[in-house]
Amino acid sequence: MAEDAETINFIVKDKSFEKFAMMMILGTTGDAMDTKMNFFFTFWGLNLLKKKFKPKVAGMPTPMKGMAAKMFKKRMKKFGIEDPWAMIKDAVDNGNMKLYPCQMTMELMGIKREDLLDWVEDPVGAASFLEMSNGGRIVSL
Amino acid sequence: MAVKTYNYTGLKCPMPVLKTKKELRNLTSGEVIEVIADDVGAKKDIPALLNKSGDELVELREDNGNLIFVIKKA
Repeated sequence: MAEDAETINFIVKDKSFEKFAMMMILGTTGDAMDTKMNFFFTFWGLNLLKKKFKPKVAGMPTPMKGMAAKMFKKRMKKFGIEDPWAMIKDAVDNGNMKLYPCQMTMELMGIKREDLLDWVEDPVGAASFLEMSNGGRIVSL
Repeated sequence: MAVKTYNYTGLKCPMPVLKTKKELRNLTSGEVIEVIADDVGAKKDIPALLNKSGDELVELREDNGNLIFVIKKA
């Protein structure tokens, strides 16, 4: 189906609900459009790949960040987004969306491979990310 | 031959696009489906999807705030 080899490459550096939602929406839509997409998670963005991590809404005042995430999730459910991780997994299984943890910042932040979801790609370094992005666009979320 | 209709009213971005694509993946070339959505964004988003996939937007009409897409699988 994919008639061109263009990839779009995203750097995810924050752990907020907003960044998670952007990653989920762009990744799943990119899958629907048969676009190859690499997501490179670094610094706080790595938290999004942790098992059972619950992102909070960065744009809300501190005491409301967690509650706002619950409220947004509930509202998005009404929009038809029932299980964001299942949707991401589908896009990954289709081979269009790839999630790469950054090796060095994992070590910097004391995050182990087993802390992350089993089905994300193996950690890579900066050179690997730039090489796989070669010729495509790189967007920092 | 009756055309299958999929009703995605109430759903917001990106769900109408994702669900439309899911159905398109199951069709064979030349098959036609009808998709109904009321998300205003779908008016541009579903044509954008089809533009990328190469499937044909046979018709887009509006009825009482609903967008009705007739789509032919490439």
